[in-house]
Amino acid sequence: MHAFAYARPATLAEALTLLEKHGPDARLLAGGTDLIVGLRQGAIRPAILIDLKRVAELRHVIDEVDGRIAISATAVMAEIENDDRVGRHFPALVEAAHVVGSVQIRNRATLAGNICNGSPAADTAPPLLVYGAVVVVAGLKGTRRVPIDDFIVGSHQVALERGELVTAIELPLPDRRLGAAYLRLTRRHGTDLASITLCCAVDEAGTTRLAYGSVGPRALLFIDESGVLADPGAPAEAKEAILERVFAEARPSPRSIRASPEYRRAMLRVLGARALRSAIERLAGG
Amino acid sequence: MNGDRVGASPHRVGGRERVTGQQQYVADIRLDDVLHVKLVTLDCARARIVSIDTTAAEQVPGVRLVMTAAGLPQPVPRFGPQFSDRPVLAVGETKYHGEPVAAVAAETKDAAEEGARLVRVDHDELPAVFTIAAALDPAAPLVQDPEIRPTDPRAGTNVLREHRFGWGDVDAAASSADVIVENTYQFPMVTHFAIEPHGFMVAPDGGGIACWSSIQHPYLLQKMLARILGLPLAKVRVFAPDPGGGFGGKQNPKLEPLLAFIALRTGRPVRLILTLDETFQSVRRTSAEIRVRTGFHADGTLAFQDIASDFLIGAYVDIADRVVSKGSYLAAGPYRVPAARIVARAILSHTTPATAFRGFGNPQVNWARESNIDEGARVLGIDHLEIRLRNLARHGEAFVPGDTPADGDWVQTVRKAAEMIGWRTPLAPGRGRGLAVGLKSGPTTGLSYSTVRLLADGSVLVYSGTSDMGQGARTIFAQIAAEELGVPLDRISVVSGDTSVVPYDQQTSASRSSVLMGTAVLFACRDIQEQVRAMAARLHGLDEANIVVERGMVRLPDRETPIVDVLRSGLGRLGGELIGNGTMRKEEDPGHPLGGTAAFFEFNCTASEVEVDEGTGEVTLVRHVTVGDVGRALNPLQVVGQDEGAAIMGLGHTLMEQIILDETGRIRNLGAIDYRIPTSKDLPLELRSASVENADGPGPYGVKGVSEGALLCVAPAVAAAVTEATGVVIRDLPLTPERVWRALAERPGPAEVSR
Amino acid sequence: MVDTLPIAVTVNGRRRTLEVAVHHTLLDVLRDQLGLTGTKECCVVGECGACTVLVDGSAVNSCLVLAVEADGAEVTTVEGLATDGRLSPLQNAFLEKGAAQCGFCIPGQLMAAQALLAQNPHPTLTDVHEGLAGNLCRCAGYQQITEAVMAAAEAAVR
Repeated sequence: MHAFAYARPATLAEALTLLEKHGPDARLLAGGTDLIVGLRQGAIRPAILIDLKRVAELRHVIDEVDGRIAISATAVMAEIENDDRVGRHFPALVEAAHVVGSVQIRNRATLAGNICNGSPAADTAPPLLVYGAVVVVAGLKGTRRVPIDDFIVGSHQVALERGELVTAIELPLPDRRLGAAYLRLTRRHGTDLASITLCCAVDEAGTTRLAYGSVGPRALLFIDESGVLADPGAPAEAKEAILERVFAEARPSPRSIRASPEYRRAMLRVLGARALRSAIERLAGG
Repeated sequence: MNGDRVGASPHRVGGRERVTGQQQYVADIRLDDVLHVKLVTLDCARARIVSIDTTAAEQVPGVRLVMTAAGLPQPVPRFGPQFSDRPVLAVGETKYHGEPVAAVAAETKDAAEEGARLVRVDHDELPAVFTIAAALDPAAPLVQDPEIRPTDPRAGTNVLREHRFGWGDVDAAASSADVIVENTYQFPMVTHFAIEPHGFMVAPDGGGIACWSSIQHPYLLQKMLARILGLPLAKVRVFAPDPGGGFGGKQNPKLEPLLAFIALRTGRPVRLILTLDETFQSVRRTSAEIRVRTGFHADGTLAFQDIASDFLIGAYVDIADRVVSKGSYLAAGPYRVPAARIVARAILSHTTPATAFRGFGNPQVNWARESNIDEGARVLGIDHLEIRLRNLARHGEAFVPGDTPADGDWVQTVRKAAEMIGWRTPLAPGRGRGLAVGLKSGPTTGLSYSTVRLLADGSVLVYSGTSDMGQGARTIFAQIAAEELGVPLDRISVVSGDTSVVPYDQQTSASRSSVLMGTAVLFACRDIQEQVRAMAARLHGLDEANIVVERGMVRLPDRETPIVDVLRSGLGRLGGELIGNGTMRKEEDPGHPLGGTAAFFEFNCTASEVEVDEGTGEVTLVRHVTVGDVGRALNPLQVVGQDEGAAIMGLGHTLMEQIILDETGRIRNLGAIDYRIPTSKDLPLELRSASVENADGPGPYGVKGVSEGALLCVAPAVAAAVTEATGVVIRDLPLTPERVWRALAERPGPAEVSR
Repeated sequence: MVDTLPIAVTVNGRRRTLEVAVHHTLLDVLRDQLGLTGTKECCVVGECGACTVLVDGSAVNSCLVLAVEADGAEVTTVEGLATDGRLSPLQNAFLEKGAAQCGFCIPGQLMAAQALLAQNPHPTLTDVHEGLAGNLCRCAGYQQITEAVMAAAEAAVR
C-alpha cells in the first residue's frame, strides 16, 4: 500500500473543511472494507484518508425520528442486522446486510460505504431502492436529502459533489403493510460477490416495488401499481409479461468472469419470480 | 499410555503451537539486518523484454539492489526437477503471466514495493498459446527453446512428451465389444491456494548460504542450490519450517536461487514473502482434455479402455511431465481390463508452470474414466455400483499385467461406501446419487533416513526430514517411537526442517511418509532395540538369543522390563545415549515404465447424494461419503482429517474452482476475491469418511499412504449424482451453477424424449 | 514521506504506545512492530480470515483495518487466548478434535470462534458455519473445526 496522510476529524465541520480542502485527493474512510482493498490493489491512490468514525455527529448509529429510521454513516452491517426496528420494518434490508461478506466484514462495512462505493453489485442497494431510502448529504453549504434512486448514478458513481459526504441514510417507516424479500445469486454457498441482487416488496394496496442490481452500471427500481404482480391469484403469464418488461432494462456485462449475460438474464427471471412469491407469502403471513 | 501408541489419536505434535500462535512459519521467522525483496512482473503473459530501466527504483530511499537477469551469472542459470529450463529471472522474454523479470531489495517492505513499482520494463507482447488447441497448431509459437532438449524430435513442437502405456489388443477387443462409449472430458486449471503464501529467505552463512523456505522437499532444494551456486552440499543449509499447507505446490524450488544471488551480491540476509496473488502465479494443477473410449460386454464387464489425454502444462516443465506420465499410467483404473491403450501428452503453453498437486494427474483421468464407465452403465442399464463390482480387480490380481497386483480388498471398500450412502435406499424426488472409485500409484522410488536417539533419561529425539505440512507426519513418527521404545509422547521430540542436522529424505510427496519415513523411523527404533538387547544380555549375563525386545519391553526368560529401565542400568553413572539409524530404500526399476513399481496403491470409493436447483443450476450436496483402503490407520483422527480435507478440496474443482485467463493469457481471477474455494458453508450437509483396515500395506503395522485418495474421484461421483437428479450429462468441470443451468436449458424436452 | 502517528492500544491486556505509519494496517503492526506473528497474512483483501483478531470484542480482518484506526481500542490476538500458559477451552477443543492441521488458518479460526461464542454461547451447527464462513481452511478441516467450536460451547455449559 502506498503512503498517504490520515485525518481523524472530531466534528462534522472539521471533516467537511478537510474534504473541501483536499477535494479529489481525499478519500473518506468509514469501514474501509472496500477502500483498503482499492488501496492495496493500487486502484486508487489518494493523498489523504479522512476517517469519519470519530465524528461526533455521526456517533448516533441507528435512530428513529419523525417517522423514519436514520442509519448513520458509521453504522455497520452487523448493527443493522441486529437492530430490532430495522428488522421489524425493513426485513429485506436485514437480509441483504446479512450477506455482505463474512462476519468480519459485516463488523466493519458500513451501509453508507456500501452505497457510496457505488458497486453495481452492492447488496444493500436493491432493498434501499425498494424501501424508498433517502440519503442525507452534508456539505459546508448545508445539508440536502437525496432519494436513493437519484443518489446512485452509475458504476462507482454517486451524486456527491466536491466537499460533500453522506451523514446518514434514512428509511421512511412504511405506511402500509409490506411483504418483502431479498435474494441473490452467487457462485458458492459461502460468502461471495453476487452476480444478481434482487429485492421485491408488495404492499396491501397491491403495489409492487422491485429492484435489482449486478446486471448493469447501477441497481434499478421498478414500481408496478397495476396490482397484477402483487395479486396472489393473477395468472403466471400476466406476471411474467410484466417481469419481462422490468428485466428488459438489465445490461449485464459481457466481460464479467462471474456470470454470462445470458445466465444473468435468465436468473433475473428465476429470482424475480421467487422473490415475488416470497414477498406475497410474507405479506399474507403478516 | 496406550493413547500415545499406534492406532490411537493423541494430540497432534505441534498442535499446541498451532492453537497458540507460536508455530513459526517461514514468514514468522525474523532475521537481523534483513533486506526485503519485491518482484517485478509484467501484466501480460508472453513478452519480449526490450530494456529494463532501474534508475528511478534505485533512487527510492532504502533500495539497495535492483537485480535483473543482467546482474546474474551468464548464461543465467536454469533449474527444474525434470528439465533445467526455468531461468532464475526471465531472460529476453517472459513466458507466463507473472514471471519475474527483476527484483528489488530494500531496507523496508514499503521501499521494496515502491522500487518495484518504479522499475520500467520496456516490452512488446508476443503471440502466445494458452490452450491445448492453440499450442498444437503447427504455426504456434514455441514455448520452450528447442535447445533445452536438443536431441528430441519433438523439440520443434509444443508437445514436450508423449507417453504410451497399455496391454492387449485394443482393436481386436473392440470388434468383440457389445457396446462402445466414447466421450471427451475437460478438467479445469486450478491452483493450490495453500493459506500460507510461499515464502523464502536466504542469508550468507560462513562461506556458504542458509536458506529458509516453506518447502516440501528441502533436500532437493539443497541439491539444486548447491549445483547452481557451485557450493558443496555441506555449505548449503536449508531450513524448512512446517509449510502452512503444501498440497504439492511447495514441492519444488522456485525463487530460492534468485534470493541466493541477491543475498550473495548484497552480503545481507534477504526475505521474500509472496502475496497470495503471486502465489497463484507460481503454481497450478495441469488442466486436461481426456478422450475415453470404453468397450463393454453386454454383462457390463470391460472389453477395453482406449484413453488419450492431453495435459496442458505451463511455460516451464517443473514436475508436470511426470504428473502426466504417472497420472496416466493407471488410467484404465482398478479394473480387470483385457486390453488397454493409453496415450498421454504433456503440452507446453504460456501459462503458470503446472506442478504437483494432490492426486498428481490422477484426479483428471479418474474423472474421465469413471464418468465414461457411468455412461456405459446407462447404455447397458446396469447399476453404477454393480458395474464396478463386476469389474474391480480382486486382492492379489495383477490388474496391470506384469505389474504390482492389487494390494487391497477394493470390493470391501466399495461395498462400505455404498452402504454408508444408502445406495439401495429410495431417493427423494429431485435428488440423485453417484458413486465412483479412484486409484493412484504411491511412490515408485524412495529414500528416507532417520536417526533416533534414546537419551539417558529415557526421552527420545526422532530425526526425520519429512515436512509436516498438516498431514501430521511428526505425530505418526512419534507414535511409532512411542510404540517401539515404550516412551510416552510427551517425552518424544521430532526434529525436522534442517538439512544440516537431520539426515536425508528424498521428498515429502505421494502420500509416502508414513510408509517410507515411517519405516526408516521404525528401523531406527529397532536398531536401538538391538542395542538394548545387547545391553540387557551384558547386564544379566544372558545370551542375546534369550532376550526379546519389542514394543517398548525387554523380555527376559523370567520377566520383562521396560526398555528405559534397561537403558538406565546399562548406561550407568556416566550416562550417554543410544543412537539408532534406519534407512528405507525403494530402488528404481529401470524396466518399469514409471522407473519403479508402486510402493502401494491409494484406492478410494466416493459416493455422493445431491439436490439440484433446476431454476438456478445450484448443486447442494446432501450427503457425501468417502472410504479409503488405508491398510492401517496409525492415527485415526488424522486419517479422518486427510480424507475429509481431500474430499472437500475435491469439491472445489468439482463445483467452483477454475483459473480464468483472458485472451492475452492474463489470469483474470487472481487472488481470493474471484477464485472461489469451499468455505464452511459449502460443506455437504452430511460428510462421512471411513477406512478399510486390513493391515495389508507395506509400511509399519501394515499402513498405506492416505492423503490423496479422497480427492481422486469426487468429481465423477458428484457429476453422476447430478446426472441422476436431472438427466443431463456434463463432461466439463467445474459444475458451476451456470454450467449446470446451461445443460438443463439444453436438455431435450419431454416431448422429444417420447418421440 | 511516510506519515506516522502515535497510537495507544491495549493488546492482549497490555497497554502499548506506538508510533505507526498511517498506511500500515493493524496486521502489519501486530506482526512487524509487536512481533505478534500468530496473526497470519494471506489474501490481504478480507476474504480468507487468516488475520482475524478481536477489536473491542468484534472479529475483524486486521488486513482491512489501519493501525491508526485501532487507536484507543482493545485488541485480542491468538496469543491472548491462553492464560498463564493454560489453554482456553476453545484451544483445548481444537487440539482434542484435531481441528488444526497445517495450522496456518487456525489463529483466525480461533478468533472468529471466540467472537461467535462470546455473542452466541449456544450456537447451532448453522450458526458455526455462518460464523466461520469468512475463514478459509484449505486443509478443509471444517468439520473438525466446527466440532471443536460446538464442543467448547458445550464444555462452557457444563
